[in-house]
Amino acid sequence: MSGLPILSLITFLPVLGALLIVVLPAGNPNLVRRTALVTSLATWALSLVLLAWFALGPGGFQFKETADWIPSFGIQYKLGVDGLSVLMVVLTTTLSWVSILASFGPIKVRVKEYMISFLVLEVGMIGVFVALDLFLFYIFWELVLVPMYLIIGIWGGPNRIYATMKFVLYTLVGSLLMLVAILATAFTYESATGSWTGAFDYERLTQFAAAGSFGHDFQLLAFLALFLAFAIKVPMFPFHTWLPDAHTEAPTAGSVILAGVLLKLGAYGLIRFAVPLYPFAAHAFAWPIIVLSVVAIVYGAIVSIVQPDLKRLVAYSSVSHMGFVTLGIFVFTAAGLQGAILQMINHGLITGGLFLLVGVVYERTHDRSIEKMGGLAATMPLWSTVFGFFILASMGLPGLSGFVGEFLVFVGSFTYAPVIAVASIIVMVLVATYLLWMFQRVAFGAVSDFLRGLGDHLTDMSRIEFVTIAPLAALIVVFGLFPSLLLDFLRGPVQAFLAAAGVAVG
Amino acid sequence: MSWSDLGTIAPVVLAVLAAAAVLVVDLAAPGHRAPAIAIALGGLALVALVIVSLAGHSQTAFGGAYVLDNLTSFLDLLFVAIAALTILFANDYLEPRGLPIAEFAAVLIFAVTGAMLIAGSADLLLLFVALELMVLPGYLLAGFARHDPYSTEGAIKYFLLGSFSSAILLFGLAYVWGLTGSTRVDVVAAALTTAAAKGSIQPGLALGLAFMTTGVAFKMAAVPFHYWTPDAYQGSPTPVTAYLSVGPKVGAFAIVLRLFVEALGPLKADWLPVVIVLAALTMTLGNLVAITQDNVKRMLAYSSIAHTGYILVGLAAYAGGQQSGIAAILFYGAAYTFMNMGAFAVITALQRRPGVTSQISTFAGLGRRDPWLGALMALFLLSLTGIPPLAGFWAKAYVIVAAVQAGGWLSALAVLAMLNAAAAAFYYLRVVVYMYMREPAEGMEVAKPGVLFRTGLAVTGIATLVFGLFPAILTVVNNAADVLKG
Repeated sequence: MSGLPILSLITFLPVLGALLIVVLPAGNPNLVRRTALVTSLATWALSLVLLAWFALGPGGFQFKETADWIPSFGIQYKLGVDGLSVLMVVLTTTLSWVSILASFGPIKVRVKEYMISFLVLEVGMIGVFVALDLFLFYIFWELVLVPMYLIIGIWGGPNRIYATMKFVLYTLVGSLLMLVAILATAFTYESATGSWTGAFDYERLTQFAAAGSFGHDFQLLAFLALFLAFAIKVPMFPFHTWLPDAHTEAPTAGSVILAGVLLKLGAYGLIRFAVPLYPFAAHAFAWPIIVLSVVAIVYGAIVSIVQPDLKRLVAYSSVSHMGFVTLGIFVFTAAGLQGAILQMINHGLITGGLFLLVGVVYERTHDRSIEKMGGLAATMPLWSTVFGFFILASMGLPGLSGFVGEFLVFVGSFTYAPVIAVASIIVMVLVATYLLWMFQRVAFGAVSDFLRGLGDHLTDMSRIEFVTIAPLAALIVVFGLFPSLLLDFLRGPVQAFLAAAGVAVG
Repeated sequence: MSWSDLGTIAPVVLAVLAAAAVLVVDLAAPGHRAPAIAIALGGLALVALVIVSLAGHSQTAFGGAYVLDNLTSFLDLLFVAIAALTILFANDYLEPRGLPIAEFAAVLIFAVTGAMLIAGSADLLLLFVALELMVLPGYLLAGFARHDPYSTEGAIKYFLLGSFSSAILLFGLAYVWGLTGSTRVDVVAAALTTAAAKGSIQPGLALGLAFMTTGVAFKMAAVPFHYWTPDAYQGSPTPVTAYLSVGPKVGAFAIVLRLFVEALGPLKADWLPVVIVLAALTMTLGNLVAITQDNVKRMLAYSSIAHTGYILVGLAAYAGGQQSGIAAILFYGAAYTFMNMGAFAVITALQRRPGVTSQISTFAGLGRRDPWLGALMALFLLSLTGIPPLAGFWAKAYVIVAAVQAGGWLSALAVLAMLNAAAAAFYYLRVVVYMYMREPAEGMEVAKPGVLFRTGLAVTGIATLVFGLFPAILTVVNNAADVLKG
């Protein structure tokens, strides 16, 4: 470790790439693509350095950087990572280069604007995970919105404008309420301490909250506003309706990032901010949130069964899978939270992979409806094998990473209330139903007339497509066999979370 | 009048001389555009220099009727910037339509002189005269395209409702004079403090307050006194609309600061509920109606009504006991000036060729037809939406901070403001959708704007960015707001 501002470097390196692309000639899309890829790979490499330098032992935040930004309100440029955020940063940087590589083929028009948007998006996402000032967090949170709006709206499917507007408006309603809650929190701190110093500082605010200094009525209101913002992003039932539209219309890489990172922003917000700052309210609202999570798990699974569109199916399965995350958070047990965080990472890898694979088929067929497919195992054997692997992972097959997260959530919720655990375990049957049934209709049986009509266009996965997906598959196996690789990072954050939530740590 | 009085009002005097000089030059060289523009811009630059050199002093003139303090200087600079930007943008619109620039510039500078006088008014009578000086040229400007029936219609509506509201305001001022015995702001404030200390205010004063509120609400286009706005904005030549959407609005808020905050400050508990209701109605209705508009000029007219609502939230926060509400109003005014004038300037650029409408379809594919213009418009619209880190975001943030700090009903108002901001995103982003996500229509090439125009665009764009990235400009705003510390 040194005085190197590594977090700032990781966060803003993509800006450098984006600026470079601005001056590159638009007539040379390959150069633009490669510049974007190199930038995101460099960011990824830096994030791996961060991972290696990260000290596993102590809790608390590391690599902190602090500078005054708007002193009159005590707003700081303050960055720092704990075990949770360091994992999320690496997940983000990994999925970013994977997505950029996956866009090489499909994105043919306005490549320059696309890559700039993607790199700016990466800045926002990393920033959200490393910001330790509530105001800075909000800025990064909103920064994510604009490039995603453009990515869906410009390079999306036929109904893209409806989808992107819905995405923006849903998110904006939540985030603006969050802004009010953040300001109200800072002001409560200011009027209690008599100074703006540290009013937006996450560490000071959590100490302040731990001392029980936020009034109960205030906590209920502020928590609700923050919760709404995060619940929309997760998305929790019944705030999920933007997700299927956004996923279906977004370009493949957009879907990957949406599922892989953007949904995690909401869950991260709940773990990092909503619960530790307002523990009283978090407990007060725990039951309704748990019920909504179970509803999301069951509802998402049932609705997935009847989806006619591959992407829509994966989107609804996300609603179901993310239900495990919110469930794991709000049972307030160590196992539950560990499971929730693992599920966040696994869902990013698995669902990201599924979207990539659907994208591969879409590139060839320009269609995603399940009923038109059939017999892909014969025409695209490699693709079908990989797809089958990701489907098994998504089902939670033991030995693959999806299993560990869901299992820990079951354990965590069982000790909290057995009935929820039982209810959500039954869902595993539904999950197997929709995933295997879909796989069967797509991959097995006779080759459909529609696919036959495509003739030679229906080639198997190309090498570049395999390279984009291979790292995700490898990580799924590694984390499935050795979940402790991740759990070691989570010890500090989980303890801090439980302590802040007022749960005795055993 | 003494020489020191003249020194104190030097900016105003110089502005009048600049306007007169423009007219003289036009007489000497009729039809020549360049000299008129040069004199107008040069004159305004000189005025700005004088304002800056006088800034930091606090002095009165004419026996206390006019006051030069940080607030006056801040607002004066803003008004000069508005006038200069309008002139930079105007020629590209007026020239292809055969409309004269010299009269335009002269009338505009007279209007701005009125606004500057409002900013320095410490006497209710001067305030009213200054207001009339600001709005009368405004009617002329609205009808400047005199062969265009829409322009004439908008001007007549603006004139009738404008004169009507001036009369109502004057009526209210008369009550205040009658019951306090003075037109001097400080004397009125002192008398009202005594009156307010006795508990309930006299019925006559309440009546006067109601009339003044109505009059000012007309001027700032607050709901339900906003009906003139959409027609006047849509009908006016686009550079005039740009001016009308910021100049008289900031002017109206200058009246609010000098009249309601300074003179009627002691009664703020009485006018607070009214302001809360006005703010809630104004931003909600403005936004809801803006959503349904297909004409971008009209849409921005309704959006300007909504922004009036946000600024009123700042005023309500002040009345609710938060001094920071004043700084929020001032910052909002400055931020709104640059981003909104920028947005109108882009429309002006598109309309450089006569016949181009301001329908939203005009914007289809602008991002590709003219990347710079498209990017700037996107910047202004995102700023108007309130996306960080642009100027419009900070403007909203300061207003919200003040309201949240005031607490109580004002927290609810803050939440309402944020929900409104989310709704507003719909119609601002719809334009972005057209610019970037739709194919351009055939034969819609954008005529390249001139150097002056591009300078103006650069200034508004940079201001929108700089106010956002370095909100340290707030120190200036705070200094100006400190003037009104009771």
